Amino acid sequence: MKATRIIITAMNLKWAHRAANALIGFASSVIACGCEADIERELSPSETPDGRPGISLLIFAMSIKELKKQIPMRVGQSVMTTATTACYAGIHDGQQIAMGKRLRYFGDGYQISKKINGRRYWRIPVMHGEFICEDTTGVTEAVGGGNFLVLAKTARHALLACEKAVEEIKKISGVITAFPGGIVGSGSKVGSKYDFLSASTNEAYCPTLKGQVDSELSDEIGSVLEIVIDGLDEESINEAMRVGIKAVCSYGPKKGICRISAGNYGGDLGPHHFYLRKILK
Amino acid sequence: MNPLTFTLKIQPKFTLGVAQLTPDNLAGLSKTEIKSLKLPYGKNEMALDTLFSVTGSDSNNIQINRSCDKLVSVGRNMSHGTINVNGDVGKVLGSYLQGGFITINGNAGSWVGNNMSGGRIDINGNAGDHIGAGKPGDTFGMTDGMIKISGSAGDRVGDRMRSGMIIIYGKAGDFCGSRMHAGTIIVLDKAGKNPGAGMRRGTIILVKKPAHITATFKSNGNLKIQFLRLLFTQLSNMGKEFSIFKKFGPEAHRFSGDLARNGKGEILILQTLDLNKVA
Repeated sequence: MKATRIIITAMNLKWAHRAANALIGFASSVIACGCEADIERELSPSETPDGRPGISLLIFAMSIKELKKQIPMRVGQSVMTTATTACYAGIHDGQQIAMGKRLRYFGDGYQISKKINGRRYWRIPVMHGEFICEDTTGVTEAVGGGNFLVLAKTARHALLACEKAVEEIKKISGVITAFPGGIVGSGSKVGSKYDFLSASTNEAYCPTLKGQVDSELSDEIGSVLEIVIDGLDEESINEAMRVGIKAVCSYGPKKGICRISAGNYGGDLGPHHFYLRKILK
Repeated sequence: MNPLTFTLKIQPKFTLGVAQLTPDNLAGLSKTEIKSLKLPYGKNEMALDTLFSVTGSDSNNIQINRSCDKLVSVGRNMSHGTINVNGDVGKVLGSYLQGGFITINGNAGSWVGNNMSGGRIDINGNAGDHIGAGKPGDTFGMTDGMIKISGSAGDRVGDRMRSGMIIIYGKAGDFCGSRMHAGTIIVLDKAGKNPGAGMRRGTIILVKKPAHITATFKSNGNLKIQFLRLLFTQLSNMGKEFSIFKKFGPEAHRFSGDLARNGKGEILILQTLDLNKVA
C-alpha cells in the first residue's frame, strides 16, 4: 500500500476535528472508498507548522494514482470548506503528490504561492480569510490490513473489549484503524459467488450461519468483531496488534471473550503476514 | 580539521576579487596550489600568497580575516560549504550563490545576492543598495535562498526579485521591493519611501509604517493574515537569531498593489506590536 500523512490545523481543536472527521468520512476500506483514513493523533500548537492546535491524519490507498485522486478531492471538499482550517504535509520525503498544487485553482487567479524554508505553500483567499495549503505531500510505502478477530459470547461483550483495544492502539504512532470506531462489524472474505463482487461476507465467522456452513465458530460464540490496522511499517502494526490483543484478553472469558483469531485469507491478502502467537511473545 | 583561513596581509588599495575562494573552487587543491592562485587586483592580477597568509586545511569551511570593503565577489557561484568573513566586504557578495552559507561579521556593499538561486547570506552589519536585486539587463533578481541583514540596507532592496526571502533587522532605504516578481521581504525597522513600487507579486512585511506608499496601492484594511502565523512560526523555529518572530502576530494592515502593474503584490504593515520594543 501507499500512504501519506497530512496535518490539519484550525483556530481550535474543535474545528480541526470537524475538518478531520469530514475528510475521514467514507474512508473505511479501499474496497469501495478509494482509501482508508483515520486520525493518527492530536497535535499541540508547538508540533504544527503554524503554531495552532492540529490533528495528524494517515491516508492509505492501493496505489499512488488513487492517492493522487483522493487527496485533493478530500482536502478540497472537507478541509478547505471547514472554517479557519489550514492543511500541511506530514511526510516530506518520497514521491510527491499534489495537494495545494491542485486546490490553488479555487483561488481563481487570486491565489498566492509562498516558499518558506524550501517548502511551497498556497494562500487561497476564501470567505473566512485565507486557506493555507502545502503544495504537495510525500508518499511512503505502507502496510495495510493487519487484523485480528474477537470472538465473544454476545455483541455487547465483543464491542466493549474492542473499544478498549482501539483505545490502546490509538496510543501507537504510525497506525490507524480506519473503520468506524476502529471496529469492523461486517468483516469480509476475498471474492464472492457473484462475479461482480470482490469481497463478501465472511460466512465462516457469521454466528447466524453456524450449522449451515463450514463455521469457525463454536457453540458459545454469538458475535465476532474485527479490528483492522493500517500502518506506515510492519513494526508499528505488530506493536498495535500486540497492545490491542492484550487489551481484549484483559477482559477474559468472565467478560464474555472466548477466542482471538485473525483473517488470513489463505495468506493471499498481501506480502505481510502477522502471526498472532509470535506477536504476543 | 581547521577551516581554511585567509588572513589579509596588506590593506588593498584597489578592488580585490576573491571569487575563487569558495569551497567549490578550492576542493582538492594543495596549500601550494592555493597560494599560487592569481586573484584580480585592480586592473592586474596578484598571487594570493602576497595578499593573504593561508592556514588551515578544511576547504569546505573557509574563513577570511581582516577583510575590508575592497574585497569583492565573495562567495560567487558557491554551491555548498561555508564562508565566514571577519570584517567588511565590498560589492556583489554571494552573487550567483546556489547553496551553502556565507556569514559576514561586518558591513557589505551593494548588490548582495545578485542572481542568487539558493543558500543563505547572513550580514552582521549594514548592507548597501540593491540587495537581492537583478543587475541592469537581468530579468530577475534573486530566485531563491535567504539574505539576513542584522543592520540596515540601502535603496531598492529586492528589486525584481523572483523568489526567496530577505530579512532586514534595521532600516531599509527607498523603493524597497520595487518591481518584485515574487518572494518575501521583511523589514523590522522603518522602510523608506515607495516600498513595492511597480511590484507584480510578492510580499513586503513592514513592522513600522513606511515614509510613503505610492498611490497605486489600495488598502484592504486591518486583517488577520493566516500566512503570517505560518511564516512567523516557521521562522522562529529556524534558530535563536529568529526568536524575535515569536512576538509577532497575524494582525496586519494589508495594501495590495502595485495596481499600475497587475496589483497582486502586497504590503503588510504589522499592527499589534509595541514598536519601541522591536527597534
